[in-house]
Amino acid sequence: MEIVVAVKPVPEAEARLRASADGSGLETDGVKFVLAGYDESAIEQALLLKEAHPPSTVQVLSLGPAARCEEVLRAALALGCDRATLVEAAPSGPLADPMGVARGLAAALRGKKFDLLLVGKQAGDDEEGVVGSALAQLLGVGYAGFVTDLRFDAASGHFRFRRTVERGTELWEAPVPLLVGLQQAWNDPRTAKLPAILRSRKQPIERFDAASALEAAARSLGAAFALPAPRTGAKLLDYRSPQEAAEKLVRALREEAKVFP
Amino acid sequence: MSPTVLLVVEHLDGVPAPATLEAAGLGKALASPQGRLVVLAAGSSARKAAEALAAVGAGSARLAEEPAWDLCPPSALGSLVAATARAEGAEVVLIGGTCFGRDLLGGAAAAWEAAAAAGVTEASWEDGGLVVRRPVFGGRATETRRLEGGRAIVALRPHAFPPLDTTAASFEASPSPPSGAAPASTLRRTGFEPGASSAGPSLSDAAIVVSGGRGLRSPENFGLVEELAAALGAAVGASRAVTDAGWRPGTLQVGQTGKTVTPQLYVAVGISGAIQHLVGMVGSRVIVAINNDPSAPIFRVADYGIVGDLFEILPALTAEVRKARAG
Ligand SMILES: Cc1cc2nc3c(=O)[nH]c(=O)nc-3n(C[C@H](O)[C@H](O)[C@H](O)COP(=O)(O)OP(=O)(O)OC[C@H]3O[C@@H](n4cnc5c(N)ncnc54)[C@H](O)[C@@H]3O)c2cc1C
Ligand SMILES: Nc1ncnc2c1ncn2[C@@H]1O[C@H](COP(=O)(O)O)[C@@H](O)[C@H]1O
Repeated sequence: MEIVVAVKPVPEAEARLRASADGSGLETDGVKFVLAGYDESAIEQALLLKEAHPPSTVQVLSLGPAARCEEVLRAALALGCDRATLVEAAPSGPLADPMGVARGLAAALRGKKFDLLLVGKQAGDDEEGVVGSALAQLLGVGYAGFVTDLRFDAASGHFRFRRTVERGTELWEAPVPLLVGLQQAWNDPRTAKLPAILRSRKQPIERFDAASALEAAARSLGAAFALPAPRTGAKLLDYRSPQEAAEKLVRALREEAKVFP
Repeated sequence: MSPTVLLVVEHLDGVPAPATLEAAGLGKALASPQGRLVVLAAGSSARKAAEALAAVGAGSARLAEEPAWDLCPPSALGSLVAATARAEGAEVVLIGGTCFGRDLLGGAAAAWEAAAAAGVTEASWEDGGLVVRRPVFGGRATETRRLEGGRAIVALRPHAFPPLDTTAASFEASPSPPSGAAPASTLRRTGFEPGASSAGPSLSDAAIVVSGGRGLRSPENFGLVEELAAALGAAVGASRAVTDAGWRPGTLQVGQTGKTVTPQLYVAVGISGAIQHLVGMVGSRVIVAINNDPSAPIFRVADYGIVGDLFEILPALTAEVRKARAG
């Protein structure tokens, strides 16, 4: 099976967020970029399917500025992915256009054969979850997001999976090729071993120039980036009995905060 | 301005989803004073769903009533949405940001060659273009985006907009172009397991979340948190101390290695407020903390705090909530 995983470099969870000098975006100077959380699950799922259905290969693909994409591509190689492709482009992140990202990735994949293309449910930074379904439309393959328990039945050439939605869990079936927005792999993501990490430093990374694919008439562009005003601390309720504390809280939620149903 | 706004209806057997009613409210505001709001519904009960929405002042509805739409994946609606937006000359397409809306957003935007944004909590016209705001990084920051090019498709964060009341009114319905088209999809739905996760609303989508921490002391006591959640109609969450100890399953964990939640109201009970927990919930609109240690860091991010013994406060609060909801 030929599996492709699209992975996005995102600021690590502990990164201190600051707005850039012009206020239009995130300051990325000095910020360490890592694999998005759902992308780690997508890689894990790809490797599990590869192990279950030999011979299979896993290719990882990342679009954005070279340095941070190479970091996450090498991390993916160290985990056991076979090939890595860098789609060079201006910074991706909260303020890049997600549809531009999808077009760039589609350009790199057009005409290439794959059975399964995995993306994360959504990236931890911008939380758009737009790229997967856009990519599916651009490449003309079937798509489902919020997917768990993804299995492949080699005899019929069909995938079977679950899709967890608000009301419950749907069961689905689809032939290859398929694009999936993954919510959860069968296992927690594995960690890379030191020899594999060292080896990944020397593995080749293919390059694809997608510059011409990124521009379009309709775009979603970042105009401002703001950190919420730091919360000033809780208003502590004065009370003489638990009963009074409860009454005061319900009143405040209803009358001041207007969140009580 | 006189824009045309297209509202994509999510419905179950003709009953519109709450997220669609919320999008209807925004759609009406964006279309006023001179514009048009058009609703698009697909499936065998599309007409009933559109009728329920006619009160939003929609001049017309576009219907794709073939039963094949009932079982197709949401992503298969992308081409239908694009074709309808073109036929209506829409400037904006709105969808509730549920699993349904998010699975079709990107595909519709690609087919319509539009700009897209998801998880939107505010939207308005500025200088003739649509400007949206949305929380990013789990609510730790907010970004403003301009959707340029005269075609925008936007998925709204659930609970961010007030729902619009609906009462049936008459409207003009026409089949959606391309007329009679059936969805093209290779995906086939083979089953459904209702509400498998839990009885209440799911953690990620709930408007109210009540979370408990190590302060509860035992799995049995954690029931106090569940009782308050039930009284509030809330989802139950937990700190990692609780899930690691096996008191409750890992699916309830909120935080860096658990779920990120952004409800209207988050109640933290017996949770200290470690940074790994905070990153999963600081985006909540209103935060309440109940803890007997006044120096617990959770009070620094909370809006309202009760310093006290949770074993006394929780039963009183649950009783008060029941009383308030009954009255
Ligand atoms: C890499 C990493 C990832 C992590 N990811 C997560 C994550 O995703 N989510 C998460 O939650 N944690 C996570 N943690 C763990 C986190 O650091 C904390 O250890 C954890 O959140 C603490 O849980 P707690 O607040 O329930 O417990 P504690 O910190 O022990 O706090 C218990 C609180 O209860 C109060 N209390 C006690 N008795 C009472 C009473 N009778 N009445 C009222 N209050 C009372 C205490 O004052 C105290 O503040 C992570 C840690 C690491 C290192
Ligand atoms: N720049 C990128 N390069 C590669 N894959 C990406 C990129 N941006 C998004 N993706 C993929 O799309 C998923 C959803 O991202 P998003 O739409 O940004 O929330 C991610 O989990 C990735 O799998």
